[in-house]
Amino acid sequence: MASVSAAESTPVVGSPEVTVECVDVCKTYRQGDLEVVGLDHVSLTIEKGEFVSLSAPSGGGKTTLLNTIGGLDPPDSGRITVAGTRVDGLGKAERARLRLEKIGFVFQAYNLIPVLTARENVEFVMQVQGVATATRRDRASAVLAQVGLDGLGDRRPTQMSGGQQQRVAVARAIASEPAIVLADEPTANLDSSSSQQLMELFVELNESLGSTFVIATHDLQVMGYTRRQVRLLDGRIVGDGPPETASHS
Amino acid sequence: MEFQLAWRNLWRQPRRTWLTTGAMVFCNVILVFLVSLQLGMYQLMIDSSLRPFVGHLQVQHEDFLEGQKLRQVVPAAATVAADLRSNLQLETVSARGQAFGLASSEERSYGVAVVGVDPLFEPGVSSLPGLVRQGRYLESFDAQEAVVGALLAHNLRVGLGEEITILGSGRDGSFAAGVLTIVGFFESGISDLDRSALHIPLGAFQEIFAMESAGHSVVVTAPSLFEVDIVKQRVEQTIPSGGDLAVRDWNALEPGLRQAIQSDIASAWFMYAVLIVLVAFSVLNTQLMSVLERTKEFGVVMALGITPSRLGRVVLLETTLMGVIGAVLGMVLGVALLLAIGRTGIPLGSIEELAAQYNLPSVIYPRFSWIGLVAGPLMVMMGSICAALYPAFRLRRLEPVDAMRSA
Amino acid sequence: MRSLLAFAWLNVQLAWRNLWRNYRRTLIMLAAIVLGAWSMIFMASLARGMVTQMVRDGLRALPGHVQIHHPEYREDPTVVNSMPPLSSELRSSLESESVVAWTSRVRVPAVITSERDTRGVTLVGIDPERERLLSFVADDLAEGRFLEGSDDKGLIVGRKLLERLETDLGKRVVVMSQDPENDVAERGFRIVGVFDSDLAVFEEGFVFAGEAIVQQMLRIGEQASEIAIIGDDYRDAERLAADVAVAAGGELQVEPWMELDPMLQTMMGLLDAFILVFVVIIFMALSFGLVNTLVMAVFERTREIGLMLALGVAPRSIVAQVIVECVLLLLVGLAVGNLLAWLTVSALSDGIDISMVAEGMADYGVGSVITPRLGLRDLAIANLTVLILGFLASLSPALRASRLEPVKALSES
Repeated sequence: MASVSAAESTPVVGSPEVTVECVDVCKTYRQGDLEVVGLDHVSLTIEKGEFVSLSAPSGGGKTTLLNTIGGLDPPDSGRITVAGTRVDGLGKAERARLRLEKIGFVFQAYNLIPVLTARENVEFVMQVQGVATATRRDRASAVLAQVGLDGLGDRRPTQMSGGQQQRVAVARAIASEPAIVLADEPTANLDSSSSQQLMELFVELNESLGSTFVIATHDLQVMGYTRRQVRLLDGRIVGDGPPETASHS
Repeated sequence: MEFQLAWRNLWRQPRRTWLTTGAMVFCNVILVFLVSLQLGMYQLMIDSSLRPFVGHLQVQHEDFLEGQKLRQVVPAAATVAADLRSNLQLETVSARGQAFGLASSEERSYGVAVVGVDPLFEPGVSSLPGLVRQGRYLESFDAQEAVVGALLAHNLRVGLGEEITILGSGRDGSFAAGVLTIVGFFESGISDLDRSALHIPLGAFQEIFAMESAGHSVVVTAPSLFEVDIVKQRVEQTIPSGGDLAVRDWNALEPGLRQAIQSDIASAWFMYAVLIVLVAFSVLNTQLMSVLERTKEFGVVMALGITPSRLGRVVLLETTLMGVIGAVLGMVLGVALLLAIGRTGIPLGSIEELAAQYNLPSVIYPRFSWIGLVAGPLMVMMGSICAALYPAFRLRRLEPVDAMRSA
Repeated sequence: MRSLLAFAWLNVQLAWRNLWRNYRRTLIMLAAIVLGAWSMIFMASLARGMVTQMVRDGLRALPGHVQIHHPEYREDPTVVNSMPPLSSELRSSLESESVVAWTSRVRVPAVITSERDTRGVTLVGIDPERERLLSFVADDLAEGRFLEGSDDKGLIVGRKLLERLETDLGKRVVVMSQDPENDVAERGFRIVGVFDSDLAVFEEGFVFAGEAIVQQMLRIGEQASEIAIIGDDYRDAERLAADVAVAAGGELQVEPWMELDPMLQTMMGLLDAFILVFVVIIFMALSFGLVNTLVMAVFERTREIGLMLALGVAPRSIVAQVIVECVLLLLVGLAVGNLLAWLTVSALSDGIDISMVAEGMADYGVGSVITPRLGLRDLAIANLTVLILGFLASLSPALRASRLEPVKALSES
């Protein structure tokens, strides 16, 4: 991970095996005139190489938790450590650097940059990090092959199916070898066979690369692929254990 | 990375980009053409105003410019001129005397400006000797002869070879009188000169007006307008110090000329400024719209860890790229227009008479110059980039989470 | 008819609301139109003010809307070409109602000599009472007194000439000219008045004396060089000249100022052309943004327009909507621009002091203060040009919108 040399100089807090540590995290936000509780004293530890699903009904706090862990949204109180870096209390620019160097994101609506090809989308983050061109090229090719898009690198997002676009998004997220990949409802816009393929890809990457995945979802089928399920309700953790079996499907 | 993103973003809405760039191109063509035309006109105005008489520099008595008095002299003017010629290694230096007098022919009398010139060197500092349409210019330093403006000759009813009498007062206050033979008529196109100027040899002038060896000015013409300042410095070092002589450049001699040019520039720049601001509004509109359209996309990119300032740079780069396209196309088309028109020039037609008042010929040619080519497009580009600053800075306020949520 | 009006009104309302859907874009475009309109009108007022001033100064310098001369005088302005005393027919024509004031003058080239210096000048013999009604000399008198009668023995000179001659109020000078026999005509005058003028040429080149005294000096009896006439309006000078010419008979030359100083006329024609070119250039620069705005507005509403077309709205009514939107935008911008221009011109009604560059401008016949003038005709030219060209510019995006395929437009996200 030559690209994240800056992070190596920061002191490591807690066990090197612990990727995410949330202690007593609270977050409220305003929706119109209403104060909505997003996170209510959430404490959570995720270790390196874990494959976790966050499940909650709509408005249960799973996106809020992902955003606070990912440094998109600072918490009101509590302590969050991601890969040895304290996230709470970081400024805007520092959070941007944290995201750039340590976190991979996969969003519900693919969210590729429309003017860039698949390959360029994958290279984008590395490019911003300042990775050398040749390294970047090789890495992008490798990752695109890994997600099964060999040969489609020169297509623009508009020339690809939803499933393919989301695979590019995954490739973009893992390309710079982040400490953790956060995926927010990655399958919500996909048909069932595409989402099945995507989840199989996540499992494969988790097993072969040892990447840490946290996936927010309300799809039981998706939860079935993970190895640990954290359930949220009204911003509180109400369950943490092996996933409920996808018996309903 | 910024460049690639910016370039591709431009062509997401090609029509919008072309319309915005089109505004720049239009403005640039106008600026390149008009600025070149102006520069061409000014050059002509300066040349045609200075060459017939004033020259680039004059050594005068320090009070002569304001007073124009016969007694405010340059002593031994011809010697001063000769010294300057050898010191400056410049042949275009000539001594003159100037006085007012009443010129009378058999039939008529007119008040005239009598100019005593050195026939040998006057052609170097003034175009007037070359503008003699009938007869010849002066030849010897002290012959009792005169070359007069064509209109003056007409008004005096005198022909070649006829005599006129000059009456006036001499340097010592005495009565000055002389009889001169007309040897030529000049037509300069400048009505002041043609109507009331009379050239006689400096020697004759000095005799008639009791000047002894004195004159009123030593005229210097520099090799080009751009070298006037350097020549002026050298002239200042050369003339006898401690005396009451002063070196005046054309700005001082013809204050009206520079001011006329300046006021023309001022009014032209009003229009240019309006054009540039209009282009800037166009850019502001396009870039603000394009930033607002991409709010969601920017949110995603920021979530990936790109800083807002980096995105702002992309937006500014987009504008700069448009500015470069606009500048290049504008300059190419502007030069094409210049070439097309430069061949024939612009005939002034019905406004010829008006142009003559500004000492302009009846056809004017735009003048190609790097400054004329680059000044306008550069201003347009700077105006555009300034306009894009607001949309670029707006990005700083953007929060990735909110941005991604926006429709 | 009623339904047509109602439809038109609906379109206007729709267009108005559509404009404010993207208020930022509309405001920026409005700002551009306002700036464009303001600059067009302000520039036109400034140029109009300058030219009006030039014409006025030119007329004051002549002065007179119409002048009568000996046919040779204009070519050869000497005492030889003086005109005989007025015929009774001409005199009665000059007393007619269309003539506001008239005077006769003797105007000859002369040389003026003080104890210190000699200058060439134009000597003008005037009838002070009549001249007062036509020219500025009496108004611009800075020191001393004006002439009191045609036989006043005093002389009025410009301040600059006074300095050049190193003489002063109350001192004597000698004026030399020629009589019709080309003998020197010479007379001593006492300087009784000094005038200042915006125009340096006048201060330096003109001296005024009593007409009778000058006639006596030149030995020309009752003859004069010119008759100057002013009518109600300087723009009507041609008609006045034609009327007077009939009474003057074939022996004399009667000319309106347009012929006396054709440059002034050229200036006025040139100004009209200049204003139109300025308006068109500014509009062109504006038009790119205007078309852009309309294209974007149509693009954003592709679905909506598709829906309208699908619902059976006629394509030409889509065209109308886009055009109405454009015209509405222009009207608002023009209104504000006109208002701002009016305010600017009002604020500058005391004139803009350009004395910094006045010397140069004076050489070209412009005074040191420019007062912008808002002309109705210039206003009309600017506003109509913008509206007509704006309408033309909106056609392309409007037609494009009306040609959308409803199904395709609806399916676009």
